[in-house]
Amino acid sequence: MSEANSIHEEEELGKAYDSELLGRVWQYVKPYWPMVLMNLALVFPLFVLELVPAWIIKTGLDRVFAPADVEPLAATGFELWLDPPAGVAPILWLAGIYVITMLLMTALQFLNSYVMSWTGQLAVRDLRRDVFRHIQSLHLGFFDRYPVGRLVTRATNDAENIAEMFSAGIVALFTDVFKMVGFAIVLFLVNWRLALFTFVVVPLLVVVAVIFRLKVREAFRETRVRIARINTMVQETITGMKVVQLFTREARNFEDFDQMNRLNRDAWQRSNRWDAGLFSAVEVAQNLTVAVILGYGFRVASTGTFYVFIDYMRRFFLPLRDLSAKYSVMQSSMASAERIFQLLDTTPDIQDGEAHATAPAVAGERRGGVEFEDVHFAYRDEEWVLHDLSFRVAPGERVAFVGATGAGKTSVIKLLTRLYHPQRGEIRLDGVALSAIPQSEIRQRIAMVLQDVFLFAGTIEENIRLGRTDVEPDAVERAARAVGAHDFIEKLPDRYGTLLREGGTNLSAGQRQLLSFARALVHGADVLVLDEATSSIDTETENLLQKGVRALMEGKTAIVIAHRLSTIQDVDRIFVLHHGRVVESGPHEELLEQGGVYSRLYRLQYQSQARADAARSQAVGGGN
Amino acid sequence: MSAADDIAGQREGRGSVRAAISRLSHYIRAERFYYSLWAVITIIYVGAFLGVPYLTGKTVDAIATGESDDRVLNYAIALALVGLASGGLRYVSRVFVFNAARQVEYEMRNDLFAHFQRLPQSFYFRWRTGDLMSRCVNDLNSVRLLLGPGLLSVIQTPLLLLGAFGMMLANDWQLALLVIFPYPLFLFIARGFGRGMHQWSIAVQEGLGELSNQLQETISGIAVVKSYAMEPVMERRFSGANQNLFTSHLRLVRVMSAMPAITGLLPMAGMLLVLWIGGNKVAAGRLSTGDFFEFSLLIYQLTFPTFIMGWTFALVQRGAAAMQRIDEVLAVEPSIADRDDVLRVDSLAGEIEFRGLTFHYPGSERQPALVDLNLTVPAGSTLGIVGPVGSGKTTLASVIPRLYEVEDGQLFIDGMEINRIPIETLRSNIAMVPQDSFLFSMSMADNIAFGLPDTDPKRVAEATLRAHLTKDLAELPHGLATLVGERGVMLSGGQRQRTALARALALEPKILILDDTLSSVDAETEEAIQRNLREMFDGRTVVIVSHRISSVRDCDRIIVLDEGNISETGTHKELLLAGGFYSRLARQQALEDELEAVA
Repeated sequence: MSEANSIHEEEELGKAYDSELLGRVWQYVKPYWPMVLMNLALVFPLFVLELVPAWIIKTGLDRVFAPADVEPLAATGFELWLDPPAGVAPILWLAGIYVITMLLMTALQFLNSYVMSWTGQLAVRDLRRDVFRHIQSLHLGFFDRYPVGRLVTRATNDAENIAEMFSAGIVALFTDVFKMVGFAIVLFLVNWRLALFTFVVVPLLVVVAVIFRLKVREAFRETRVRIARINTMVQETITGMKVVQLFTREARNFEDFDQMNRLNRDAWQRSNRWDAGLFSAVEVAQNLTVAVILGYGFRVASTGTFYVFIDYMRRFFLPLRDLSAKYSVMQSSMASAERIFQLLDTTPDIQDGEAHATAPAVAGERRGGVEFEDVHFAYRDEEWVLHDLSFRVAPGERVAFVGATGAGKTSVIKLLTRLYHPQRGEIRLDGVALSAIPQSEIRQRIAMVLQDVFLFAGTIEENIRLGRTDVEPDAVERAARAVGAHDFIEKLPDRYGTLLREGGTNLSAGQRQLLSFARALVHGADVLVLDEATSSIDTETENLLQKGVRALMEGKTAIVIAHRLSTIQDVDRIFVLHHGRVVESGPHEELLEQGGVYSRLYRLQYQSQARADAARSQAVGGGN
Repeated sequence: MSAADDIAGQREGRGSVRAAISRLSHYIRAERFYYSLWAVITIIYVGAFLGVPYLTGKTVDAIATGESDDRVLNYAIALALVGLASGGLRYVSRVFVFNAARQVEYEMRNDLFAHFQRLPQSFYFRWRTGDLMSRCVNDLNSVRLLLGPGLLSVIQTPLLLLGAFGMMLANDWQLALLVIFPYPLFLFIARGFGRGMHQWSIAVQEGLGELSNQLQETISGIAVVKSYAMEPVMERRFSGANQNLFTSHLRLVRVMSAMPAITGLLPMAGMLLVLWIGGNKVAAGRLSTGDFFEFSLLIYQLTFPTFIMGWTFALVQRGAAAMQRIDEVLAVEPSIADRDDVLRVDSLAGEIEFRGLTFHYPGSERQPALVDLNLTVPAGSTLGIVGPVGSGKTTLASVIPRLYEVEDGQLFIDGMEINRIPIETLRSNIAMVPQDSFLFSMSMADNIAFGLPDTDPKRVAEATLRAHLTKDLAELPHGLATLVGERGVMLSGGQRQRTALARALALEPKILILDDTLSSVDAETEEAIQRNLREMFDGRTVVIVSHRISSVRDCDRIIVLDEGNISETGTHKELLLAGGFYSRLARQQALEDELEAVA
């Protein structure tokens, strides 16, 4: 499975160039192609402008300042071009051209850099949007395996890296290659003998660059893995800080962290040495060429030509010096692109079935009938959580699942809401296979109260409403009242407007659970699913809740999973689950006649029914 | 409960620039050996760097005046040697400054991590994980860039400019003054762009932080997002953050593109003057061709460093903003730390005494979570705490290991003021199983041995047995070596809770606090665990917070909390007779638990 591999993807080899990946990045740039075209169109004029200043100096040196010293060898067409028209002082003329070049260059450089970064940002904005959309479309099992921190990195740092590709990577590389070839051609045109001599240094530098590339690649790969581990550890430690501190683990944690951090530093320092090596190699090459030009050139060229050679040779080498910077930008943006696209390639696993277009979407059909047929399900491989599970819940019926932890109760609910899907068998809602119903519709029709209550950063009201704009503020409060959440909400500083922290950590577990009931109530679905809803609420609150839940169940299909039998006293039918199979099922009376587990339960319950009732009425009374 | 107030209070005081700089200089001082060596090498390097145009000028003059070929060749050879030296020095200089920057990054990351570990729970109420991560990753990187390429350019470029200016002055002071004249303009350019750059780089950093918050929240709540078809809502939220980030980026990009382009005008203006005035001087025979060469080469060589200055400026701005954000975190004093009047104790007996304990969550003065609580838990005894939702049970349990700060004179362990007991001693003698059984993405064994100095197999096995995990371990693919995934996702809710229990038991603590530890464990398993635990309780002080009577019934003493007050206290029997909250709860649950046992 690609998603299982992707956890270790940091350790994969990063390439600096991958045409397939570039092709995919291009898809995001394509909508903005006129901007790309504009940039490419600017490369040639910028190159020509860069040639001009040295040529002006050459003209000055060879023709204006010391006219007697005109060299015979370099009478190319270029320099005549710079001769002033009649009546204009030559130096003034040259200075004038220089000023125009200077201003044009500044303007074009700004334009070039701005438009390119702009394009990059546009593309990356779109990419981020797609990443987010995709993450939301993935099935829950994916999030069990893929750490949150890594997903966040995809949309932030990785996306930023791709933006870098535009401002400093691929376009700069293209421009560099174009310029290097251009300068070489011009130098050969000006004086091929001198050019041949000076280019002797080039192959040497190429060898250095190749060695550098290999070394730096290794170092980059290493640092990439290390930094990923470091950040994962920081993230996990922050999230689990309470436990870290309670168990005085700080010192040991720090030791582990320090070691990772140290190795990361060492790898970077190694790569710094290679980087500096290339940098100084280019500088040496530049300086040696000057020595060669002068030491050999005085026999074959004019001073003006020296000047042009020195200037152009420096410009020729300059891109090589930044090679490491660009290489690192390209490599990290390629690695980022690879990871982003790997994420985007992870299939949502549960997609809207192809058949849903033809699914009967008749309003009358939505009554809330649920059916499981020969369902097999495992979270991983062949570790079956549900075996061959079949049952049917009629519209408006209330059923309950009982069984020990790990019997598969929660899985039934996750399958029903299509947060996961079964490996074998079929689940139907009102006779239609779930896989044929659009997910959004399933979620409209099935409301769920999960074991883990997650609250979003936002107000209490927003957390009950959950983005639904069609719900009146009244309805929010009514729901809160019905489930007994209203009382504690009223005590909060801003009542329904009180801001909750992400995860709702400023509320107690019970209060969180009450809010999640209100959510489900507001949602107004045909099928109501309660997953161990009352497990961490004390009896008193639970009693309050019972009333609300009963009202909520009215006219709905309800599937309840709870530890306490009191929660399921009112249901129509009970399924006893054991190791993913239904071992006993049927209406209350039928189970009773069977004389199995349930009947024993019931007898115990019956004996103390009166007492329990008394206790409940008292408890409710006391709670008010 | 007003977390919002806290956040507002936290954010209004952005750390001052001065504080950030002083913290940064502390790190730089620690690397002073490298940095000062680097400074010396830089000065020598500047000499070699400027030697190249100087010798070039000399050679050109030698050629122009028709000196002997040997002489010209000698100059060329000298030029080559200086060129080599310059390259070598540059290597050393770059390695020094960049490696020192990595060293500082390493130190700062370590310090951040250690600091995070020292900060109390109330800090994590106010700061979001995504925000902290962003400071630890993005901001740290910006600071590193400031100290590496940033510092290199900030120190080296002015030196180069000064050296070059000196050489020009020596040759032709009039021309030199004219050439250097545009450079001070750089300061104005820098100031002009600086503000925008600073502002927008902060905006970008914050935009990134906000984006990761949005994402993190969506992912953490993905089950709810999906169940309630909230995808469009979350996407709208995300798109808003995304668009904001884009806008900030664009503004920053505009400034960052304009700055180097305009900076590039400076050397070009200098060159123009050399061309015009120098050219006229050469024509008039008042400046040699070689000097002209030297002038123009000097300007050429300075083009790149000057050009880079603009970019450096952005780095410095970004780095300064980032340092401020890092300083903001590092400046938060860990409110729970050993004080000067700390006592010397290594072990505790386990007596807990609350003397009129009143506790407010920081920032919520309205309703204290605990009100004037008086209670003594003798060493070796067990205390049960029950009560309705929000009555303060978890708060009461959390102040014992000092997860939250209480005022002096209100909480005593073994008769000692809790705030004077070394935290290390306190926490290694107390084991708490918090409500949300957070597990780390390690193996089962490492999670259970989390609080132990090393993974002691005997203790792990013992704890596993007591927490009733043996059977589960046998079913896990690799037993104790099974990796539990982030937050223990590979385990069921009950398994997670029991692992968290085993983790606490492995400590063999003097005080054991169970905060509604077994809520996701079925009654039968709970019963079995209770039996196992009873032996563990011998000789330990145990505090059990629970919703279930069965968990607390055997406690030496049980209290009922109601809105932060003790409303009932006594043994199980006494409380049953009292006919209050406890007896009502007990009657109902006694029945249910019996039933559960059968299922």
